[in-house]
Amino acid sequence: MSVTGIDLGSRTIKIIEMDGQQIVHHGLYDTVSFYRNCGIIAGGEMTVDLAGLGFKQGRVIATGYGKINVKIAGAQQIPEIQAHVFGALWQSGLKDFTLLDIGGQDTKVVQVREGQMVDFMTNDRCAASSGRYLENMASVLGISLEELSSFSEEAVELNATCAIFGETELIARIVEGHPVSHLAAGVNYSLYRRVSIMLKRLQSKSIILAGGGALNSALARIIARETGSEIYQLSQPQFNGAIGCCARA
Amino acid sequence: MSRVGFTTSIPVEVLLAAGRTPVDLNNVFINSASPQSMVDLAEEEGYPRNCCGWIKGLYATSLNYDMDALIAVMHGDCSNTQALMETLQLRKKKIIPFAFPFDRERVQLEAQVDKLMQFFEVEMEEVLKVRARLEKIRSLCREIDRMTWRDNLVSGQENHYYLLCSSDFNGNPDAFEAELQSFVEEAGKRRPIKEEVRLAYIGVPPIFTDLHQLLELMGARVVFNEVQRQFSMPMQSDDIIEQYLQYTYPYGAFARLEDIEEQLAIRDVQGVIHYTQTFCFRQIEDLIFRERLKIPFLTLEGDRPGKVDARSRMRLESFVSMLKK
Repeated sequence: MSVTGIDLGSRTIKIIEMDGQQIVHHGLYDTVSFYRNCGIIAGGEMTVDLAGLGFKQGRVIATGYGKINVKIAGAQQIPEIQAHVFGALWQSGLKDFTLLDIGGQDTKVVQVREGQMVDFMTNDRCAASSGRYLENMASVLGISLEELSSFSEEAVELNATCAIFGETELIARIVEGHPVSHLAAGVNYSLYRRVSIMLKRLQSKSIILAGGGALNSALARIIARETGSEIYQLSQPQFNGAIGCCARA
Repeated sequence: MSRVGFTTSIPVEVLLAAGRTPVDLNNVFINSASPQSMVDLAEEEGYPRNCCGWIKGLYATSLNYDMDALIAVMHGDCSNTQALMETLQLRKKKIIPFAFPFDRERVQLEAQVDKLMQFFEVEMEEVLKVRARLEKIRSLCREIDRMTWRDNLVSGQENHYYLLCSSDFNGNPDAFEAELQSFVEEAGKRRPIKEEVRLAYIGVPPIFTDLHQLLELMGARVVFNEVQRQFSMPMQSDDIIEQYLQYTYPYGAFARLEDIEEQLAIRDVQGVIHYTQTFCFRQIEDLIFRERLKIPFLTLEGDRPGKVDARSRMRLESFVSMLKK
């Protein structure tokens, strides 16, 4: 039987359709356009035209930020962190790990033992340790996210107490004449420092990276170097929550 | 009866003995038609954005609220109260400072209560008479608390509401007593609540308006509201000074911890939510509670008045679902 999982993220919406243990279809949509084009909201519920997007209109499980304000009609709702844990268990096959999910607007660290979530933390309210921070900083540097993701050496010092201060600080470093590679490494390193407090408190021998932030390979290298933990890269990090919805079914 | 406001619990017996109506300004602020507009007003006057929402709310409430004087707790609550008092002085408000001694020292507290009695021109005898009268109300509060954790007849929200209101008895002890009485009777007839998760709530009352209800929708019930319970003066004491020495809230994290640990031991909770206000010094104390309380622990931060925000809701949901297993 096929199941569709929807992760209503702050930056992108991820949809996965699974048939048994096989992913048969997936889609990634910009959140703003998705709400505008794909859903009809009536009485606090959103009807999504899944068939129009190429998905079967069978059993649907949803998670994510969006589900708090908008319920998807006919869908079962599950807590976001739970969905991510199910996704990581399904994708990695590991039972004991720390999951680091770097999303568009927030970051979650979850400690899992024997397949069960035992503790979790999230970043404080500011977006400095999220994907949004990386996007902003890449745009200040005039490079793509992919390019930003390739630098992890000789990082310039950035404190980045918040996403906005971070930008100001970065500009100050640019005018000091540092090369882009060191500046980009500084951005990645500052993101690591923000999450390191949580990783330290909820440490494990294996760290699984998920969310859009997991696509940042420089960050993975920094985490491996600094924590000494083994880094497990999921094959579909951005779809982890949506996969978790299906895996839960 | 003329009204006297206060910024956090003070020996309210003195005000009642003087025939004044006590008003906990926190309750006036959070129950006003638009608490957010109070915060906005304080910001328009120049209060910084990175300053506690309660202080801003108290400031705006004090400006507009009809009262004779305001008792500002300068020590034992929050250091921002000093600037709150000063900015209200600037607006020609009458301020009476009060301080709980940091080291919980009897003689110093006595002096503070004496000063308050002199200001309101009342004798100890009259104050003690009021205390004896209030004891009936406070024992009803204790009954509601027991009906929450022991008998499982009272919701976390109801517990929160009644204990919170015991700080000023809604300005009218007789009416409040009647309200408590009829609630106890009504709740006594209920069937016990069967929740999936029992929680403790520690820290100052939330600036969120729907936290307890939201937790109940998630299948969790708060069976311990730490500071709200303290407002009801739950400890037995021989005299009024001892009563306000036993009251834990003004005496720091360790005084509170002792009470929290004692209550957690008897209330059978699976997790603790520690609420702190954004920009509050108590966010630092979080590490003390987190280290000392050996129980699943969620730190919840609230900034502006209103419903629980999406992010906090996600965290609460995850915490409750983790404890359900």
